[in-house]
Amino acid sequence: MTDGNERVSYATRKRFWGVASGRVVRHLTIALGLVTVLAPIAWLVLTSLKTGQGVFEPRYVPRDPTLEAYRRVLVEAEFWKAVLNSLVVSSVTTVIVVALAVPAGYAFSRFRFPFDDAIFVGVIFSRLFPPIGIIVPYYQGIAALGLLDTRVGIIVAHIYLWLPLMVYIMRNFFLTVPQAVDEAALVDGCTRLQAFRHVVLPLARPGVAAVCILTFLYSWREFLFAFMISETLSAKPIAVAVYSFVGEVTVNWEELAAAAVVAIIPTMLVVVFFQRYVVSGLTAGALRGR
Amino acid sequence: MTDATDPRDHERDGESPEYSVEIDDLVVRFDGDGTADDGGGTNDGDESGVTAVDGVSLSVREGEFLVLVGPSGCGKTTTLRSVAGLETPTEGAIRIDGADVTGRDPRERDVSMVFQNYALYPHKTVRGNLAFPLAVRKVPDETIEKRVAATARSLGIEELLDRKPGQLSGGQQQRVALGRAIVREPTVFLMDEPLSNLDAKLRVRTRREIAALHRRVGKTTVYVTHDQAEAMTLGDRIAVMRGGRVQQVGPPEHLYAEPANRFVAGFLGDPATNFRDGILLTDPARVETDRFTVDLADERAARLADRLDDSAGGSESRPSDSGSRPSDVTLGVRPEDLRVRAIGDSDDGDDEGPAVAARPIVVEPLGSETVVSLVFEDGNGREEFEPVADPGSDPGDLTAVVDPDRAPSVGERVTVSIPPDSVHVFDRRTGENLTSAPDPER
Repeated sequence: MTDGNERVSYATRKRFWGVASGRVVRHLTIALGLVTVLAPIAWLVLTSLKTGQGVFEPRYVPRDPTLEAYRRVLVEAEFWKAVLNSLVVSSVTTVIVVALAVPAGYAFSRFRFPFDDAIFVGVIFSRLFPPIGIIVPYYQGIAALGLLDTRVGIIVAHIYLWLPLMVYIMRNFFLTVPQAVDEAALVDGCTRLQAFRHVVLPLARPGVAAVCILTFLYSWREFLFAFMISETLSAKPIAVAVYSFVGEVTVNWEELAAAAVVAIIPTMLVVVFFQRYVVSGLTAGALRGR
Repeated sequence: MTDATDPRDHERDGESPEYSVEIDDLVVRFDGDGTADDGGGTNDGDESGVTAVDGVSLSVREGEFLVLVGPSGCGKTTTLRSVAGLETPTEGAIRIDGADVTGRDPRERDVSMVFQNYALYPHKTVRGNLAFPLAVRKVPDETIEKRVAATARSLGIEELLDRKPGQLSGGQQQRVALGRAIVREPTVFLMDEPLSNLDAKLRVRTRREIAALHRRVGKTTVYVTHDQAEAMTLGDRIAVMRGGRVQQVGPPEHLYAEPANRFVAGFLGDPATNFRDGILLTDPARVETDRFTVDLADERAARLADRLDDSAGGSESRPSDSGSRPSDVTLGVRPEDLRVRAIGDSDDGDDEGPAVAARPIVVEPLGSETVVSLVFEDGNGREEFEPVADPGSDPGDLTAVVDPDRAPSVGERVTVSIPPDSVHVFDRRTGENLTSAPDPER
């Protein structure tokens, strides 16, 4: 039975894989991964509960946990304005991107029209193009329109950044809806628009949800364009505002941490509640009809 | 070759729509990228496209069940979709109940369709699926409820009404698709290979149900299939299509008995018709192949003479000797028409026609009948089954269908006789049947 090449016996290998894929090892691996991800966040939260002096004390758990840092950040530093900016920018961006990406994705998935492939490649290419490459002309354009330091300027940038990807995701979702279903609806008495509304759109609803969530999350965390366009808290979203706690000389760690926690909370809520859609959006096309 | 009567004649006679569906010189050309070229606008002479339907004219009578049958890519589905309004004809016209619907949207045609993969609405319950065609048309709720209930009862799917399509078996989905088509009581039913996704047993059963349903509802139906058995069993009339053209239209029995050309003869019937190339000789009319010579029965010989006279009278005369006109033909004879007998066994005295010595190489008992593949018995013939490159071709020289009680065994020496009144003679060049009876008046 012994094979010349078999240095390790079958029994040994079996035992090894039995342990390696066993419950203990598996759980240890998962735990290690979780610690890697969660430890910085835990530290962030703990730091945000400390006082200015407490930050430098050699201990993890704050001696006197306090929300003072949050009060100073949100109220005194008027960080609430940044939260509001972020909410407005992300929501408006999401609404506009979804309103455009859904019909565009449907058109690309169903209709042939002149230069359709070329236009679609253009859409994809604009997504692949490094945004930093156009940041100077974009800045000048926004300046010329008088939109510097406004939410509108940031919203326009965010639409540019996320619309192509969302068109692509929506198209892939619509491709999973068989064309025969559209056709059945047409024969059953629908107009094109009714077929879309009553049959195709409901079937692509997980895709619409995914596009909403992804656009919101991406817009919420976008830094580069928002940083360039906004100067004051009248436009600064959270991602940029957090950075302003890094001073010229010193860093207010507890305030920075408090601001960061505030910035993370909405993202976490979205992921916790809409996990399913986020995953299906990122693997667009893999979703099967139930 | 297309022998459909010109439907325009009837329209001129009067406005009463004797035909539910009339398809008039339909041409559907697809551009290279798969979009239907609607023929409008500039004709840039684009030859890169595919002509899926190439001049099809058909008329379907009120209440008739017409089956479009043909191999894949013959244009049958495109024809059906054009009737539904899902493809835009490049040329030609489509009339439903006498009204020209060529440019109309599907919803304005009063047709309903069963799709190959059913195309049920996965997010709606069975009830929702059945109600949808009515709800879109703003039918009052009480009426919808009644009609859905009645449809569900007639198809035996009442207990499924609150399930979603994903929870149904293929056969159940198929019934729901049928139900969605009949619930609206349209002028015309269109069915695009509705049975092809079912397993063999269920297919036969559902086939019978569709036949029964049609008898009960009596609605004009156009049914597309590639399965000749479905076509034969379901159709009041069959239209055999190939390469975007109609080859022959008529009742199943007529197409089976009197195929218009070699393609129809080969397509209908299983196992397929035996073909053997030969030379046509006259006085008496006979076909000589390398193995046997068949004297044609009087009736067929007469028809043959008529055809040849016609074509000789035309400018397109075939190469011929003036006295006896030999020409290249193909002989066709159905497997069930061949008589297979053990050597020396001659109890069937009334058999006429040439008898050829042959040897079975494959014997397939099917229970009610036995299919025998035979090779001619003569030194250089094949002795045993040999695989051939073309899987579609017959394993032997001839295929016969025989009574299981009298089936020969492999290797046994037999004689095969070819009854002269059952052979067809096809022009080898055009494939046209030179001996078939004319299609019945329709």
